[in-house]
Amino acid sequence: MAAPNFQQTISALERYWADEGCVLMQPYHTELAAGTMNPATFLRCLGARPWKTAYVEPVIRPLDGRYGENPYRFQHYFQYQVILKPAPEDVLDLYFASLEAVGIDLRRHDIRLVEDDWEQPTLGAWGLGWEVWCDGMEITQWTYFQQLGGLDVDPVPAEMTYGLERLAMFLQGVRSAFDLEWAPGVAWGDIYRESERQWSAYNFEEAPVDVLTKRFDEHEQECRRLLDRRLPLPAYDQVLKASHTFNLLDARGAISATERAVYIGRVRNLARDVAKLYIDLESDADASA
Amino acid sequence: MPTLLLEVGCEELPAGACREAEEQLPALAQRHLGAAPDRVYVGPRRLALVFKNVPERTPDEWIKGPPEHLADRAAAGFAKKQGVAVEHLVAREGFLGVERPGKPLADVLPERLGAIVRDLSFSKSMRWDESGLRFARPVRWRLAKLDDRTVVGETSFGHRFTAGAVEIPHAGEYSERLRAAGVEPDAGERRRQILAGLDAIGGWSDPAGVLEEVVYLVESVEVLEGSFDERFLELPERVVVTAMQSHQRYFPLGGNRFAFVANGGEPELVRAGNEEVLEGRLDDASFTFERDVARGIDELASRLDAITFFAGAGSFADKARRLGDLVRTLGGGEASLEAARLAKADQASELVREFPDLEGYIGAEYARLAGYPEAVCAAIEEQYLPDSAGGPLPQTEAGKVLAAADKLDTLAVSFSLGHRPSGSRDPYGLRRAAIGLNRLAVEGGLSIPRALLPDEVREFVEERLEGLLEVPVEYVRAALAARATDLGAVAALAEFLYSERESDAFEGVYTAYDRADRLAGRAAAEAAPELDRSLLREDAERALAEGLAGVSLDGDLHKALESGATLAPLVERFFDEVLVMDEDAAVRANRLRLLLDVRDTLGRLGDFSQIPR
Repeated sequence: MAAPNFQQTISALERYWADEGCVLMQPYHTELAAGTMNPATFLRCLGARPWKTAYVEPVIRPLDGRYGENPYRFQHYFQYQVILKPAPEDVLDLYFASLEAVGIDLRRHDIRLVEDDWEQPTLGAWGLGWEVWCDGMEITQWTYFQQLGGLDVDPVPAEMTYGLERLAMFLQGVRSAFDLEWAPGVAWGDIYRESERQWSAYNFEEAPVDVLTKRFDEHEQECRRLLDRRLPLPAYDQVLKASHTFNLLDARGAISATERAVYIGRVRNLARDVAKLYIDLESDADASA
Repeated sequence: MPTLLLEVGCEELPAGACREAEEQLPALAQRHLGAAPDRVYVGPRRLALVFKNVPERTPDEWIKGPPEHLADRAAAGFAKKQGVAVEHLVAREGFLGVERPGKPLADVLPERLGAIVRDLSFSKSMRWDESGLRFARPVRWRLAKLDDRTVVGETSFGHRFTAGAVEIPHAGEYSERLRAAGVEPDAGERRRQILAGLDAIGGWSDPAGVLEEVVYLVESVEVLEGSFDERFLELPERVVVTAMQSHQRYFPLGGNRFAFVANGGEPELVRAGNEEVLEGRLDDASFTFERDVARGIDELASRLDAITFFAGAGSFADKARRLGDLVRTLGGGEASLEAARLAKADQASELVREFPDLEGYIGAEYARLAGYPEAVCAAIEEQYLPDSAGGPLPQTEAGKVLAAADKLDTLAVSFSLGHRPSGSRDPYGLRRAAIGLNRLAVEGGLSIPRALLPDEVREFVEERLEGLLEVPVEYVRAALAARATDLGAVAALAEFLYSERESDAFEGVYTAYDRADRLAGRAAAEAAPELDRSLLREDAERALAEGLAGVSLDGDLHKALESGATLAPLVERFFDEVLVMDEDAAVRANRLRLLLDVRDTLGRLGDFSQIPR
């Protein structure tokens, strides 16, 4: 069997998780540094309502760009995110079956779960889980959330975040993400190498520090205002935009380590307040239903 | 008596959690089952205990209640609390009580196994379902068997991908049934197999100590060998080794070869996959290394003001400036000053951000590539030594000075910010720094003035000296109170005093000090501020004053001790012939002064009152 190309791998995951009852979501409309930040994960994992979803998320990490010169580092790549809330008892078996669905023969390879304690300080979030290794390649970050927005989660959701490029590199047996076949005759690099170069130039050289510094404050204020108006969903978008603005400032080298802690604290406070309000509204709705 | 098996099946436990469970399980078994397990099996997916010959019933219990003579008042309440009728209370040795006959072990096992699971405590634990149970990772099955009877659960499970449910027909067959299902449950046996596999390949090393983690990363052991493209050998060796060990838990075999332990799969495929991954990592490390080198160490050093050393203690640029000052105070030469300027430059490198363990080492490499003299580069490389209590010391002079300055600064800054180590918590490695500083003085022969250390830090550092020297602590305390001005001199004095403790000279000095101190120490307030020779009336006191003036304690410790000992007969004669507490207050004060001068002079050799006789 020929190795699946990139879009076939995504399709296989979509089919598999749809069959397992997941709602297939689409990528979110603003920059995210991780699929976890998509409200389909961060907000829907709060509160008591069950939720199963799966989606592709392009993640934007300005600091990780290398102008398209290093085939292992990008400021933009793809995750495949799956949430099962609550985590069913056979959740690991379901996950391993998804690897078979994309074409990994679990008996022929060395699949390992290696301790990984996940933490996302800007979201006040942490969980315990693993890196999943396939013949030494980390293909998934696997987490049982314990806290989001500083709040204990109950029920506990399972989060599976596949690194799509890594997974596809393993499946296609190629060394560089640029060489991945995306579709017949079209490589990942054909689509994104130039974009990596241009965005790295923007992130590291062109992004306007003064404008961004101001913008961060504006997103924070806007978030606070929306919280006052009891609109957690739009408020959360402001958290995401503030977070991305911070990442850009960081890539521009405009943030010292001390300031970094302060910025992270500001985003975390917003995320926490959004999380609280989101749960409040949801429990009010559930109570009146 | 039957054999008992208890098994707790988990999702993959971290190595640290496995070790915590391994330590706690025997005591928990004792507490909840009253028996010590004969075997403790610990691995990533299961914790198991096997007991040979367990009693089939739990022991009878006697719950002691009130004394018989208080039966009227207390019996009813006690009986109610125990859930029995008053007439069922039994008297024994003057007390009422309840007899609780033991129960069949099988009846209590589910609850006892639950208690063991509940009582295991992990440094990091989690919830995963509505039970609210906390464990290092989710518990997915439990099995308890008494001989061939299944008391809890149904089956065990074999290797995650090559075997499913595994019947355990009899508790005594646990390990062999699992081995047949691709699982080696015994951590000791897995360790033995890994070592045998590595030894069979030969030439392996494990500088980062990943072996103990790998033992708990696999349920079945397959040691494989791989290699990578020789072009990566152009990278500094520790970059290659770190990429292999810190990310991948591989064992370097020297050159471009490595060994690793797989948990299953087809060896050829698994090897090829791991080689690909490692080459990717090395390729990435090369990109990072090249970017750092292109910037150069001076450019990296210029970026240090943007990197915080310690909240409240400024940036790494500030740290570098303080290091320069300290190096100068410690009498460091040109090379150590230059090294101090560049010491922290690698904190701005991408490679150290990625692999913090490479700090120092990679800075030295970058300095070499920039053409700095070897003395400077070596000092940069050695600045964190000794990095463990018994680790090697810097070999170069500049390295010693820089290493001492680095530790002095870290200690001073941490203490000034209130970060004292407490209990087992020492996140900034201050104990290690203090021990290192002492070793640089004692073994490295570096002069570290005690006055250079802020009081609190000096106490902390000198306490560590007590543990470091192989002499009783009293001798170290005696030496610390002497007027030795640097750490090394304190150590030398403590060792000297201890080695001389049986000698006549020591005896003489000790006695003279002791007698002078006992009499005059208490009355020090009455002593004259200075000795007045015109008030010396008796021959014996004049002789002592003259003798004291002739004592020379400078230079060689042997000569100093001999010189101090010349006071012994004079002090003895003084006490025989002179009444200190003379009626004339001025004479009395002068004699007390003379004795205090004797004590304080000899006290430069040590505070002998610290040493018990």
